[in-house]
Amino acid sequence: MLLAVHDLRHTYGDEVALAGVDLSVDAGEFVALLGPNGAGKTTLVRSVIGLIQPTSGSVRVAGGSPARAEVRRRLGVVQQDVGFPSTLTVREIVEGAAARAGAGKDRAKAAMTEMGLADLARRRASNLSGGQQQRLQLAMGLVADPALLVLDEPTVGLDAASRKAFWATLEERRNRGTGILLTTHIVEEAAALADRIVVLHKGRVVAEGTPSELQRTLPGRRVTARTSVPAEVLRAVDGVVSVTASDGEVDIAATIAEPVVRTMLELDPTTSDLVVATAPLDDVLIALTNETKEMVA
Amino acid sequence: MRAMWLEIRDELVGILREPTALFFSVLMPVGFFTFFVAMFGEAWENAGTAMIVPFGTFGVLAVVLMNPGIGMADAHQRGWLRVKRVSGIPLWMTIAAKVIASIPYAVAVLAAITASAVFVGDMRFDAGEVAVVFAVLVLGVLPFAFFSVAIGSRVGANAAAAILNAILMPSAIVSGLWFPYEMLPEAIARIGSVLPTYHLARLAMAPVDGGAWLGHLLVLAATAAVGAMVATMAYRSARL
Repeated sequence: MLLAVHDLRHTYGDEVALAGVDLSVDAGEFVALLGPNGAGKTTLVRSVIGLIQPTSGSVRVAGGSPARAEVRRRLGVVQQDVGFPSTLTVREIVEGAAARAGAGKDRAKAAMTEMGLADLARRRASNLSGGQQQRLQLAMGLVADPALLVLDEPTVGLDAASRKAFWATLEERRNRGTGILLTTHIVEEAAALADRIVVLHKGRVVAEGTPSELQRTLPGRRVTARTSVPAEVLRAVDGVVSVTASDGEVDIAATIAEPVVRTMLELDPTTSDLVVATAPLDDVLIALTNETKEMVA
Repeated sequence: MRAMWLEIRDELVGILREPTALFFSVLMPVGFFTFFVAMFGEAWENAGTAMIVPFGTFGVLAVVLMNPGIGMADAHQRGWLRVKRVSGIPLWMTIAAKVIASIPYAVAVLAAITASAVFVGDMRFDAGEVAVVFAVLVLGVLPFAFFSVAIGSRVGANAAAAILNAILMPSAIVSGLWFPYEMLPEAIARIGSVLPTYHLARLAMAPVDGGAWLGHLLVLAATAAVGAMVATMAYRSARL
């Protein structure tokens, strides 16, 4: 097992960030850590990459503690909110990362090419766009051919094309046996890439499984209809998680469909265009984390 | 060794590519030195020679106290320190690279002050004495870099510059680096006598005036030990 996290707990003063998390990543496995803002994703990542010492519990990367520098060198990491020195070029940064990891300039060149940075090699890193800086971080992470990639919200700020290219690189790495732990709050990203999704909420793992398993194990339903029943009434019905209403059309996420369908038909027999479907994954996550859709989508 | 060299190289490249800080760090002490020599030169025989050590001390302090800390604070603010820590670069290497990279600064400021003294025709030290003063100042000032790094790892770049200036300027004045120590009011001189900055200046003066040196050396050794400890604790506990 490349990454083994056991009963991990961390507090900031009185605030509990992690309340006993178990997590594992195997070689060649892509695990997405999904959850709303404040769920504890970044704290978990920072524990895994050795930036913080957890209050209790254990983290093992390839059998060793990430508090040790030689263990951290086996990781490729993309962190949030990293700015590069204004004085160093892209090439100097990637070659430096390669040299520190015991790799040569050829590996640095290959990593820059892989991440589409070859033409920007002479540019000062701080002058790159946000998306280019994310790619530069990934190039630094890939240069040593790491056993485990840990990526904290790596595609925030990327345009659609860059995001797709980023995803392709990650899939290619996974196919070559690299373990990947990715945190994201973008459901589409997790569903598209991950072998396994771990849902974190308020510092706890609230669900875990493949995207289809998550959808199957939860009785999530999506109900849409044209009705005059007010949204406030529908929100009060058992099992309803969220209601979006516009011009007489309602879009309802619910754990079960029957009560809300019955209520609509009883209060407004003219209800029409009624459709009941299995909820998409983001609705499942709303139910799991009891958050508004905006916080997870 | 290669990793250490890369750290130092990155620091030196940074200095060369953004020389503004270097310019002011060197220009200010040299400018003050030249100004004071011009002002007191006629009334005070050998004013230039007498002022080389105190102004040289101020010069090396200005660069070694300011630059590593501001560089560290900038890296901290950008999140670059997090990248370094995660990439497995040992703590001692990050700190040592900042300290070592400040040495060329210190040598540059001393060379500029010496050149200025030669230019105004008031240079009585021979080459051997100058070399010894250089060596004492360059090595003796390194403990101050630890405090600079400690402050830089806890605050932003602007705050670091303000805090370090607030330490440097009063320390320089009460240690007799701008005005002869003997001219200071007794109460201020007493404060100055306990500061490491005073002991650095006295240690550098000892080879040319034959004064005692061991006590000053011990104070600086203790300063280095405390500074290294403070820098390590500050960096380790910094929330990156």
